[in-house]
Amino acid sequence: MLLKRVIALEGEQVEFRNGKLFVDGREIEEAYVRYPCHWNLSPRQVEKDCVYLVGDNRSMPMESHHFGQASKRRIMGVILW
Amino acid sequence: MVKIKYLFIAALIVILGIVMVTAVFPSEERRVKKQFRLLSEWVSKSTEENAFTMLQRMKDIGGLFDAHCELRVPDQSLSGSYTREEISTYAGSARSQASQLDLKFYDLQVVFPEKEVAKVTLTARLTGRSAAGERMDETRELECLLRRIEKKWLFTQIEVIEVLKK
Repeated sequence: MLLKRVIALEGEQVEFRNGKLFVDGREIEEAYVRYPCHWNLSPRQVEKDCVYLVGDNRSMPMESHHFGQASKRRIMGVILW
Repeated sequence: MVKIKYLFIAALIVILGIVMVTAVFPSEERRVKKQFRLLSEWVSKSTEENAFTMLQRMKDIGGLFDAHCELRVPDQSLSGSYTREEISTYAGSARSQASQLDLKFYDLQVVFPEKEVAKVTLTARLTGRSAAGERMDETRELECLLRRIEKKWLFTQIEVIEVLKK
Protein backbone atom coordinates (compact mmCIF):
# COMPACT_ATOMS: atom_id res chain seq x y z
CA MET A 1 0.00 0.00 0.00
CA LEU A 2 1.31 3.45 -0.90
CA LEU A 3 0.59 6.80 0.72
CA LYS A 4 0.45 9.53 -1.91
CA ARG A 5 -1.18 12.90 -2.48
CA VAL A 6 -3.76 13.34 -5.26
CA ILE A 7 -2.54 16.33 -7.24
CA ALA A 8 -4.78 16.11 -10.32
CA LEU A 9 -8.04 14.53 -11.40
CA GLU A 10 -9.10 12.85 -14.64
CA GLY A 11 -8.90 15.08 -17.69
CA GLU A 12 -6.51 17.52 -16.06
CA GLN A 13 -3.05 18.16 -17.41
CA VAL A 14 -0.05 17.70 -15.10
CA GLU A 15 3.39 19.15 -15.54
CA PHE A 16 6.49 19.88 -13.46
CA ARG A 17 8.73 22.81 -14.35
CA ASN A 18 11.92 23.09 -12.31
CA GLY A 19 10.18 21.52 -9.32
CA LYS A 20 6.97 23.58 -9.59
CA LEU A 21 3.71 21.75 -10.17
CA PHE A 22 1.39 22.99 -12.90
CA VAL A 23 -2.14 21.67 -13.36
CA ASP A 24 -3.85 22.77 -16.57
CA GLY A 25 -1.07 25.31 -17.01
CA ARG A 26 -1.71 26.94 -13.62
CA GLU A 27 1.03 26.85 -10.97
CA ILE A 28 -0.08 25.12 -7.78
CA GLU A 29 1.17 26.38 -4.44
CA GLU A 30 2.38 23.34 -2.52
CA ALA A 31 3.11 24.39 1.06
CA TYR A 32 3.29 20.74 2.12
CA VAL A 33 6.43 20.01 0.09
CA ARG A 34 9.26 20.34 2.60
CA TYR A 35 12.33 20.06 0.40
CA PRO A 36 12.72 21.91 -2.89
CA CYS A 37 13.24 19.82 -6.01
CA HIS A 38 14.08 20.48 -9.63
CA TRP A 39 11.88 17.96 -11.37
CA ASN A 40 10.90 18.51 -14.97
CA LEU A 41 8.03 16.49 -16.39
CA SER A 42 6.49 17.23 -19.76
CA PRO A 43 2.70 17.85 -19.75
CA ARG A 44 0.47 14.78 -19.69
CA GLN A 45 -3.24 14.29 -19.30
CA VAL A 46 -4.78 12.22 -16.53
CA GLU A 47 -6.75 9.37 -18.10
CA LYS A 48 -10.40 8.56 -17.50
CA ASP A 49 -11.17 7.08 -14.06
CA CYS A 50 -7.65 7.89 -12.87
CA VAL A 51 -6.02 10.35 -10.52
CA TYR A 52 -2.45 11.62 -10.54
CA LEU A 53 -0.47 10.83 -7.41
CA VAL A 54 2.78 12.25 -6.08
CA GLY A 55 4.42 11.93 -2.67
CA ASP A 56 5.32 14.98 -0.58
CA ASN A 57 8.95 13.94 -0.17
CA ARG A 58 10.56 15.03 -3.42
CA SER A 59 14.11 15.32 -2.20
CA MET A 60 15.24 12.47 -4.45
CA PRO A 61 15.73 12.51 -8.25
CA MET A 62 12.46 12.22 -10.16
CA GLU A 63 13.49 8.84 -11.58
CA SER A 64 13.74 7.39 -8.08
CA HIS A 65 10.33 8.59 -6.93
CA HIS A 66 7.23 6.46 -7.44
CA PHE A 67 4.53 8.69 -8.81
CA GLY A 68 2.07 8.79 -11.65
CA GLN A 69 -1.52 8.06 -12.49
CA ALA A 70 -3.48 5.19 -11.05
CA SER A 71 -7.03 3.98 -11.27
CA LYS A 72 -9.43 5.52 -8.74
CA ARG A 73 -10.53 1.98 -7.86
CA ARG A 74 -7.17 1.48 -6.17
CA ILE A 75 -7.80 4.16 -3.57
CA MET A 76 -8.24 2.45 -0.21
CA GLY A 77 -8.95 5.49 1.97
CA VAL A 78 -7.78 8.87 3.13
CA ILE A 79 -5.48 9.87 5.96
CA LEU A 80 -7.26 11.09 9.09
CA TRP A 81 -5.09 14.10 9.87
CA MET B 1 -21.42 -24.17 40.29
CA VAL B 2 -20.02 -27.60 39.39
CA LYS B 3 -21.86 -27.49 36.05
CA ILE B 4 -20.28 -24.15 35.21
CA LYS B 5 -16.87 -25.57 36.06
CA TYR B 6 -17.39 -28.53 33.71
CA LEU B 7 -18.72 -26.26 30.99
CA PHE B 8 -15.66 -24.05 31.32
CA ILE B 9 -13.32 -27.06 31.07
CA ALA B 10 -15.25 -28.40 28.06
CA ALA B 11 -15.02 -25.02 26.32
CA LEU B 12 -11.29 -24.88 27.06
CA ILE B 13 -10.78 -28.36 25.59
CA VAL B 14 -12.72 -27.41 22.45
CA ILE B 15 -10.66 -24.23 22.00
CA LEU B 16 -7.41 -26.14 22.55
CA GLY B 17 -8.58 -28.77 20.06
CA ILE B 18 -9.29 -26.13 17.43
CA VAL B 19 -5.87 -24.52 18.01
CA MET B 20 -4.15 -27.92 17.74
CA VAL B 21 -5.99 -28.90 14.56
CA THR B 22 -5.21 -25.51 12.99
CA ALA B 23 -1.53 -25.86 13.91
CA VAL B 24 -1.19 -29.47 12.75
CA PHE B 25 -3.38 -29.16 9.65
CA PRO B 26 -2.99 -25.56 8.42
CA SER B 27 -5.42 -24.32 5.82
CA GLU B 28 -4.29 -24.09 2.22
CA GLU B 29 -4.24 -20.30 2.55
CA ARG B 30 -1.82 -20.56 5.46
CA ARG B 31 0.35 -22.99 3.50
CA VAL B 32 0.47 -20.52 0.59
CA LYS B 33 1.33 -17.64 2.91
CA LYS B 34 4.08 -19.73 4.46
CA GLN B 35 5.85 -19.86 1.08
CA PHE B 36 5.97 -16.06 1.06
CA ARG B 37 7.31 -16.04 4.59
CA LEU B 38 10.08 -18.42 3.52
CA LEU B 39 10.85 -16.42 0.39
CA SER B 40 11.07 -13.27 2.50
CA GLU B 41 13.36 -14.98 5.00
CA TRP B 42 15.64 -16.49 2.38
CA VAL B 43 15.98 -13.44 0.15
CA SER B 44 16.74 -11.23 3.15
CA LYS B 45 20.40 -10.99 4.04
CA SER B 46 22.33 -9.78 7.05
CA THR B 47 25.75 -8.15 6.89
CA GLU B 48 27.27 -11.17 8.66
CA GLU B 49 26.13 -13.75 6.12
CA ASN B 50 28.90 -16.19 5.21
CA ALA B 51 29.48 -18.02 1.92
CA PHE B 52 28.00 -21.29 3.20
CA THR B 53 24.74 -19.61 4.25
CA MET B 54 24.63 -17.76 0.92
CA LEU B 55 24.84 -21.02 -1.04
CA GLN B 56 22.23 -22.65 1.19
CA ARG B 57 19.86 -19.70 0.69
CA MET B 58 20.28 -19.90 -3.09
CA LYS B 59 19.31 -23.57 -2.99
CA ASP B 60 16.41 -22.89 -0.63
CA ILE B 61 15.06 -20.10 -2.85
CA GLY B 62 15.14 -22.38 -5.89
CA GLY B 63 13.13 -24.97 -3.98
CA LEU B 64 10.19 -22.57 -3.69
CA PHE B 65 9.75 -22.44 -7.48
CA ASP B 66 8.22 -24.79 -9.98
CA ALA B 67 10.56 -26.41 -12.55
CA HIS B 68 9.62 -23.51 -14.85
CA CYS B 69 8.39 -20.16 -13.63
CA GLU B 70 7.12 -17.21 -15.66
CA LEU B 71 8.64 -13.92 -14.54
CA ARG B 72 7.34 -10.53 -15.67
CA VAL B 73 9.56 -7.88 -14.13
CA PRO B 74 9.99 -5.13 -16.74
CA ASP B 75 12.23 -2.95 -14.50
CA GLN B 76 14.85 -5.70 -14.35
CA SER B 77 14.38 -6.81 -17.96
CA LEU B 78 13.17 -10.17 -16.68
CA SER B 79 10.46 -11.49 -18.88
CA GLY B 80 9.79 -15.07 -19.85
CA SER B 81 10.03 -18.57 -18.55
CA TYR B 82 12.95 -19.36 -16.25
CA THR B 83 14.01 -22.68 -14.80
CA ARG B 84 14.32 -23.21 -11.07
CA GLU B 85 18.11 -23.26 -11.44
CA GLU B 86 18.15 -20.00 -13.41
CA ILE B 87 16.04 -18.31 -10.73
CA SER B 88 18.30 -19.66 -8.01
CA THR B 89 21.40 -18.36 -9.83
CA TYR B 90 19.78 -14.99 -10.50
CA ALA B 91 18.76 -14.66 -6.85
CA GLY B 92 22.29 -15.53 -5.75
CA SER B 93 23.77 -12.97 -8.13
CA ALA B 94 21.31 -10.26 -7.00
CA ARG B 95 21.94 -11.02 -3.32
CA SER B 96 25.73 -10.90 -3.81
CA GLN B 97 25.40 -7.30 -5.03
CA ALA B 98 23.92 -6.26 -1.69
CA SER B 99 25.57 -6.14 1.71
CA GLN B 100 22.23 -6.22 3.49
CA LEU B 101 18.68 -6.96 2.32
CA ASP B 102 15.28 -7.08 3.91
CA LEU B 103 12.30 -8.32 1.89
CA LYS B 104 8.85 -7.91 3.39
CA PHE B 105 5.42 -8.79 2.01
CA TYR B 106 2.28 -6.90 2.95
CA ASP B 107 -1.47 -7.11 2.33
CA LEU B 108 -1.47 -10.65 0.94
CA GLN B 109 -4.78 -11.56 -0.64
CA VAL B 110 -5.07 -15.22 -1.53
CA VAL B 111 -7.74 -16.65 -3.84
CA PHE B 112 -8.02 -20.08 -5.41
CA PRO B 113 -9.24 -19.57 -9.00
CA GLU B 114 -9.07 -23.31 -9.69
CA LYS B 115 -8.11 -26.50 -7.92
CA GLU B 116 -4.42 -26.65 -6.95
CA VAL B 117 -3.85 -23.04 -8.07
CA ALA B 118 -3.49 -20.02 -5.80
CA LYS B 119 -3.43 -16.43 -6.97
CA VAL B 120 -1.89 -13.95 -4.55
CA THR B 121 -1.80 -10.17 -4.84
CA LEU B 122 0.48 -8.36 -2.45
CA THR B 123 2.83 -5.48 -1.86
CA ALA B 124 6.53 -6.29 -1.70
CA ARG B 125 9.09 -3.98 -0.14
CA LEU B 126 12.81 -4.51 -0.53
CA THR B 127 15.15 -2.40 1.58
CA GLY B 128 18.85 -2.65 2.25
CA ARG B 129 22.26 -1.49 1.11
CA SER B 130 24.20 -2.31 -2.00
CA ALA B 131 27.76 -3.62 -1.73
CA ALA B 132 28.85 -0.06 -2.57
CA GLY B 133 26.88 1.25 0.43
CA GLU B 134 23.98 2.81 -1.48
CA ARG B 135 20.58 2.66 0.22
CA MET B 136 17.88 0.60 -1.49
CA ASP B 137 14.15 1.02 -0.96
CA GLU B 138 11.82 -0.43 -3.56
CA THR B 139 8.11 -1.12 -3.25
CA ARG B 140 6.13 -3.00 -5.88
CA GLU B 141 2.73 -4.60 -6.24
CA LEU B 142 2.97 -8.22 -7.28
CA GLU B 143 0.58 -10.79 -8.64
CA CYS B 144 1.76 -14.35 -8.11
CA LEU B 145 0.49 -17.73 -9.14
CA LEU B 146 1.38 -20.81 -7.15
CA ARG B 147 0.59 -24.37 -8.06
CA ARG B 148 0.23 -27.25 -5.64
CA ILE B 149 2.66 -29.91 -6.77
CA GLU B 150 3.27 -32.99 -4.64
CA LYS B 151 1.70 -31.32 -1.59
CA LYS B 152 3.91 -28.23 -1.95
CA TRP B 153 2.83 -24.80 -3.14
CA LEU B 154 5.39 -23.65 -5.71
CA PHE B 155 5.68 -20.31 -7.49
CA THR B 156 4.80 -20.65 -11.17
CA GLN B 157 4.37 -16.99 -12.09
CA ILE B 158 5.44 -13.66 -10.61
CA GLU B 159 4.35 -10.44 -12.26
CA VAL B 160 5.10 -6.87 -11.22
CA ILE B 161 1.91 -4.85 -11.62
CA GLU B 162 2.25 -1.31 -12.88
CA VAL B 163 0.25 0.73 -10.37
CA LEU B 164 1.57 4.19 -11.19
CA LYS B 165 2.00 5.25 -14.79
CA LYS B 166 4.05 8.40 -15.27
